[in-house]
Amino acid sequence: MDDPVVLLGVGGVVGGLVLLVRGFLAYRTGTRIADTSASRIASAAVGEVLVSGVVEPAEVTLVSPLQSVPCVYYRARIEDSDGDSSTTSFREERAVGFRIRDETGELRVFPRGARFDVPTRFEERSGTFGDDPPGLRLRAGAAFGPAAADRDAQVAALLTVQPAGRVGDAGPGDGGTWGGGSWSGLDVGIGSRARRRRYTEARLEPGEIVTVLGRALPFDQLDDPEWADHLEEGDPLLGDPEIAADLAAARAAGRLHDDPAVAWGNAAIPGFGIGRPVREPELHEEAHEPALAGAADAERFARTFEIAPDTLVVAAAPDVPLVVAAGPPEAAAGRHERAFLAGLVGAVIAIASAMWLAIAVGGGNAG
Amino acid sequence: MTPTELAAVFAVALVVLVIAFLVLSTYNAVVALRLRIDKAWANIDVALKQRFDQLPNLVEAVRDLMAWEQDVLTEVTRARAAYSPDAPIPEQAAASAATTSAVRSLFAVVERYPEVRSAANVLALQEEIERLESLIADRRELYNDQVYRHNTRIAQVPAVFLAWLFGWRPRPFFEADAADRVRPTAQVGPAS
Repeated sequence: MDDPVVLLGVGGVVGGLVLLVRGFLAYRTGTRIADTSASRIASAAVGEVLVSGVVEPAEVTLVSPLQSVPCVYYRARIEDSDGDSSTTSFREERAVGFRIRDETGELRVFPRGARFDVPTRFEERSGTFGDDPPGLRLRAGAAFGPAAADRDAQVAALLTVQPAGRVGDAGPGDGGTWGGGSWSGLDVGIGSRARRRRYTEARLEPGEIVTVLGRALPFDQLDDPEWADHLEEGDPLLGDPEIAADLAAARAAGRLHDDPAVAWGNAAIPGFGIGRPVREPELHEEAHEPALAGAADAERFARTFEIAPDTLVVAAAPDVPLVVAAGPPEAAAGRHERAFLAGLVGAVIAIASAMWLAIAVGGGNAG
Repeated sequence: MTPTELAAVFAVALVVLVIAFLVLSTYNAVVALRLRIDKAWANIDVALKQRFDQLPNLVEAVRDLMAWEQDVLTEVTRARAAYSPDAPIPEQAAASAATTSAVRSLFAVVERYPEVRSAANVLALQEEIERLESLIADRRELYNDQVYRHNTRIAQVPAVFLAWLFGWRPRPFFEADAADRVRPTAQVGPAS
């Protein structure tokens, strides 16, 4: 009996079973999507809804770590391999609240607890000599960016032809600032160039079509809007012991205010600093008096920063898991169907491997 | 037990597992579909009830201003009176279609009278009823699509076997029967 034969057989059984379990999970999600009719946003009712439309940013967007693209969700991973072993040196998944728009209206999506079904958009390996792959543009700066100013700006961005390949690469070696403190442990220095590196990134960008299946409920019934508005692996603030200690000290000293106007002053006024304030700010007497926003801008800023209590929003609920899938419902269901078929193939592989293993082991015993 | 027998048991167990998963998933999926249909119907019912409640306000608002258009008002009133939340779905669909038709006739007549059309309360009621009509149309489409998915699912393998076992039947669409599609006509004036 050869060890490689046994290892291969065991590997086939385990790999097949893993594929089968993943197929089962995909089947359940795919069935939910395929069996739920898509509602028009304007006529969506409270309860489980499936809506499909275009992604629009809400207050902020994210900046993807590997290609620095504005998005509302990303999942990025960097793996190092030296031929024999492979280690994950960076892995991050993050989402912020966004809007979904169809021809009848728009709906705010709170991503906390969501399962994102978004295909990989960027998958490259570093070169033989450690050179960066084309298209890699590591994020330099904060992980959060402002939302697009308006639809015209989004249309202009969509129609602008971007240069291929790397544009303004930046990273620790370039003296850039790494955002969010999330890059700790990421060894991207010159000394690590000998290892091959694999980069993968999936993301959901403004303007893309998306299918959302979740629970629609009035905004004021959301347990904690601030908590529900982000999807991250742990709270980035409380995860940092120094920040957590500072927060605890500030809370104990009564320096954390409930009222944003008290805590932030002028910054709590919609439009202040990023457009035009909707009401008169309190300024130093020598400061330049900013022009107030017009009615249309004020309405837009208010819409961006304030959600009416009875506005329907979509969020995860214990009885209705939130699924955000790239593409229209048919495409999303099709991906899950293919994953289920792959799971069935996995079952066949597992059975065939078990048979092969039995013959190999049985033959060895007989011999 | 020999390795070959163990492998055979493993293969049979895996096949049984896949079949059991498919049966359970299909059963749960059809149950969920039926609940979604019930919910979609409940949402239509809410909109029908809202329209039912608003129509008298509209008729009252225009009655004095359109005293010589009693036939159209009578038609709206009669269509509204046909609403019955406990009636079978095809009957409710027929009543809803007749009400929509009567309301459209009323709005068309209102357009001919600027003094009626410009009255603030008429305008507000007209907008509200148009919103409800649009809501009913959207939700009817959603309901019918959900029924289509359910009826298709229980006619396909493997759900067709479960449908036979559990007595699942196709659900009715929200559409009027052919016999009910005749638009009701209002009898105006004294009977001859």
